[in-house]
This record gives sequence, structure tokens and C-alpha cells, in this order.
Amino acid sequence: MTIGLYHYLVLAVTLFAIGFFGVLLRKNTLIIYMCLELMLVAATLALVAFSRFNGTIEGNVFVFFILTVAAAEVAVGLAIVVALFRRRGTVDVAKLNALKN
Amino acid sequence: MNATINYAELVYALRPEIALTLGLLLALGYDMAFGRRMSDCARRGVAVLIGIVTLASAVFQTLHTNVPPVGHAAYWFHGAFVYDTLAHGVRLGVFGLSALTLLLIAGSIPHSALRTPHFKHPAEYVAIQLLATMGFSLMAVSNNLLIAFLGFELASLSLYVMAGFDKTSRASAEASLKYFLFGGMAAAFMLFGFSLIYGMTGTIVLPEIARALAVQGPSPLLLVALVMVLVGFGYKAAAAPFHQWAPDVYQGAPAPAAALIASASKLAGFAFFARLLFSGLGTVSGDAINFGGPAGWIMAVIIISAASMLLGNIAALAQTNARRLIAYSAIAHAGIMLLGVIAVRAEGAGPLFYYALTYGIATIGVFGVFAAIERTAPCQRISDLAGLWKRSPFLALVLFVCVLSLAGIPPLAGFFGKFYLFAAALYLNGLMSPAGWLAFLAIAMSAVGLYYYLVILKAALVTNATAGTSASTEKIRVPLGTVIALATSAALTIALGIWPDVVLGLFK
Repeated sequence: MTIGLYHYLVLAVTLFAIGFFGVLLRKNTLIIYMCLELMLVAATLALVAFSRFNGTIEGNVFVFFILTVAAAEVAVGLAIVVALFRRRGTVDVAKLNALKN
Repeated sequence: MNATINYAELVYALRPEIALTLGLLLALGYDMAFGRRMSDCARRGVAVLIGIVTLASAVFQTLHTNVPPVGHAAYWFHGAFVYDTLAHGVRLGVFGLSALTLLLIAGSIPHSALRTPHFKHPAEYVAIQLLATMGFSLMAVSNNLLIAFLGFELASLSLYVMAGFDKTSRASAEASLKYFLFGGMAAAFMLFGFSLIYGMTGTIVLPEIARALAVQGPSPLLLVALVMVLVGFGYKAAAAPFHQWAPDVYQGAPAPAAALIASASKLAGFAFFARLLFSGLGTVSGDAINFGGPAGWIMAVIIISAASMLLGNIAALAQTNARRLIAYSAIAHAGIMLLGVIAVRAEGAGPLFYYALTYGIATIGVFGVFAAIERTAPCQRISDLAGLWKRSPFLALVLFVCVLSLAGIPPLAGFFGKFYLFAAALYLNGLMSPAGWLAFLAIAMSAVGLYYYLVILKAALVTNATAGTSASTEKIRVPLGTVIALATSAALTIALGIWPDVVLGLFK
């Protein structure tokens, strides 16, 4: 059996779904971050696969930029978690309910 | 793709962004070298001044760009950037709105010992806001998915930081985290949608995508891609049912940051969204003119728009917190702007641009008033506004003008924004079309909206602050920067209402 575009796409969609449900269901902020990264990686994988099978280079170029953006996103995200932990002493999203009407 | 790379053209396309970069480096460098030796007040003044001068030079660069006549567009750097009237207007608009919110910083410093100052590092705040503005400006000119994604992320990442900038506040950090989590998920959805579009068409340049899709026609995979892009965009624009972060962020973020999120971010986001849908996906738009036409993204946009108008307006009725009320009204306005995206087909981007611009100006006015009140006392609940006309007649007047503009009362800009937008939507095919029904719903919902806007005005203009309520009776001294920003937004709200052709004329 040869591995084709279809298999890569199934893998990408699976990764994306795992990440998405992780974001929805997990309560720990750090785990949610990891799931967000998983969703970005799924999109990256799809781009690389499409780039290979379309025979155009744009997808690969796109990936370099996504990796950079993802790194910046982690930097900002972790900084926010640290700031929040100093104020609240928890990173559990279920306990973050200070803002309401 | 084998053409030589013309870097001069790249520099020409990105002159405003280059000006912003130099300005933010200057702000950071100056603060690092001299900031510690200056008083807090001087430090803040210098940072804001550098920010304003930088934005002014970006405006100057934008004004010295050749704008193609209406209906034509110039493409730069192998189609990576597009320049037309919309891009020109949005660039000028976001620079102006960003400058107005910068001026609010001076006013949001508590001068009593009630709260610790939360803008301890003004230069960093100004630098991050300039980065966000750069992201908006990139979104305005992007003509390919990569530039659009980078612009979106640059703007979003900066806005997350700005929402959490008040490190002394529990609410600010929480607002920032919620904004970040929702925004990160939205970015992932949009990116996956982009990757599917790229996979189907083999290109990331919007007009080429349109050409490829015109040949292929609609497919199930395309539908998935469209839904993912719409979900991602719905989160960014705070459209229902993807709005959950908006009330929390509007409530918890520092007022100048919330003002930027509500104004320039919306303008740039909707401008890019209209460009993506019409110039990239225009051939698979479906039909908004007749019932039962071919399916496409227009139907999905109509559903999100209707949901936003209904949820935003009805949920706003129940709010006792003024900032959350403004947030729900923002969701309702996002619904109207989505109707404007559909109406781009009839009248071009003019009505949408005018609406988003005047909405942004009025919202900055409202948040500026909240920020100025917060100098002496907390300003969260609607009852905190009680007796405002006695504490500061100027603030009460600005709030009066801006809130009435949001409500859509003539002759203010908000009324004409709604008027032109609904007229464009009805122009598609009268009342007997999905777009026509949506316009009718929008008009009905505007009447609902009038009620909660009047609740705010009643608290500020009629109610007296009595001993029983939490509202302070202390006179409010409004600092110069805030006076300039508020007077400008109120004056623009009135002037653009009387002379709407100043803006709309650009698109004719």
C-alpha cells in the first residue's frame, strides 16, 4: 500500500479533532495550550501534504511562518499564565470565573 | 513564480509598516535610555507622543501612495499585496482610531490612591499597540492567505498582551487568558480552512483561488473549508455563537485596550473578511437574492448575522454592568456589519467601511468616558455612572453623543451608517430575499437596542448620585489627552453624520 494524500489528510483531521476536543474538555490551562499547538500542527501537516501533492512550494513556505507564529503564541500565552497564576494562584479554567454580570 | 524579486516594490508596499516599526523601536529605546530618570507622568507623555508621531508618519506615508481609481486595484509583489480604495481607507482609518485610543492612556491613570497605577511601562504598551496597528494595516492590504494570516496573528497576539496589561488586576489577567484561548482556537480553525483552500486550488493568492474555484465549483471539502474559515472569523469578530470571550474581555481589559479591540480591530477584520469572501471565494458565494438558490457562504453569513443581532440585543437588555452591556451591543453591531459584508455585492465596500469606522469612533468615545471616570472611582456597573452630568458635564456630553450614535439616532453618524447599510442590503432584491429579511430584522433589533442605550444615558444624565448608591460625587478632572481624544470622537461622530460623503465619496 502506498501512502497517499488521503492518509495524510486523515492524520491531519484526527490530530485537529484531538486538539479541539482537548481544548473543550481539559481544565488545565497548560494542557489546553498543548492542544492548541496540536491544532496548529494539524494544519501544518495538511499544508505540507498539499504542497507535496500539488507540486507547488507555497505550502512549505507557509509552514515556516506558522512555526514562527506558534513560537510567538506560546511566549505570549505562557506569559499570560504566569501573570494569572501570580494573581490567582491557579491555572484551572473552571476556577476563573471572576468576570460576570 | 520565476520572476525576479523586486524588493523596491516590497518596501513601497510596506512603507507605513516600516514607519511603525521604526517608531516602536524608538519608543522602546528612548524609554530604556532615559525612562528611569523621568517622572511617571513625563515618561507616559513621551511614550504617547512618540506613538502619535509614528502614527502620523504612517498616515503621511499612506497619503503618498498612488490610489487606483474606484473599481480598480493595484497588485504589488507578485500579487501578495493589493491596493485599492478599501485598503487605502482602512489603513487611514486604523491609524486614526489607534491614535485616538493612544490618547486615552493619559486619562486612564487613577490620580487618587484608590488603585495602583496600571500603566507602569507606558513605552511597552505603546510599542505593542503599534505592533497591533501594523497587523491591522497588513490585513488591509493582504491579497494572499499567508500575509492575511500573519497580519491576523500579529494583531491578535498584541491584543492578548494589551488585554492583560494591567498586572495588578485579577480581572485583566483573566480577560487576557480567555481572549488568548478563544483567539488561539480561532486562529487554528482559520488556518486549517486556509490549508484546505490551498489544497484544493494549489495557490494562496486570492484572485487565483477564485479562478480555480470557478472551474471546480462547490464541493464537500470546500464546504468544510468555508465553515472553518467562518468559525475562525466569527470568533475574531465576536459574532454569535462564537462571542463568549467578548463580554469578559470588555469588562476586564484596561479601557484603552478594550477600545482598540472594539474599534480598529473590527474595522481591519471586516475589511479583510469582505476581501477574502469576495475576491477569493466570490465564485462560490451562493445566492442572497432569491430563496432556494445555490448554497454558498452567503447563507452561513446570514445565519451568523441574524444570531448575533438577536443574541447581542436581547442579552444586552439583562446587563447591569456597563462594559458588558457595550460588549453585547458590540456583538449586535458585528451582526449588522456581517449584513454589510453581504451588501458589498450591491454597493461596494463603502457602506460597510463607513459603518465600521463610525462605530469604532463612537465606541472609543464611550470607553474614553469610562476610563476618565475610573480615575476617581470604579466604573463597572451602570449605577456607577449616576450623576455624571454633575461630576463632569463634558464627559456626560460626550457619552450622550456617542451612545446616541451607537443607538442610531439622526443626525449622528451611527444613523447614517445603518441607513446606507440597510439601503444597500435592500437594494439586492427588496424585502423578498434572505438579505432583505435580515435587513428587516436588523431594523427591528435596532429598536430593541434603543432601550438599553437609553438606560445608560438615564443613569448618566438623569439619576442623581445619592448616598445609598456606590457612585461617587467627586468632580472629575479630565486630563488633556483624554479631552482631545473625546472631543475628537464626539466631533467626528457629529461631523460624519452631517457630511457622510466625506467618507462615502471615496468609494464612488
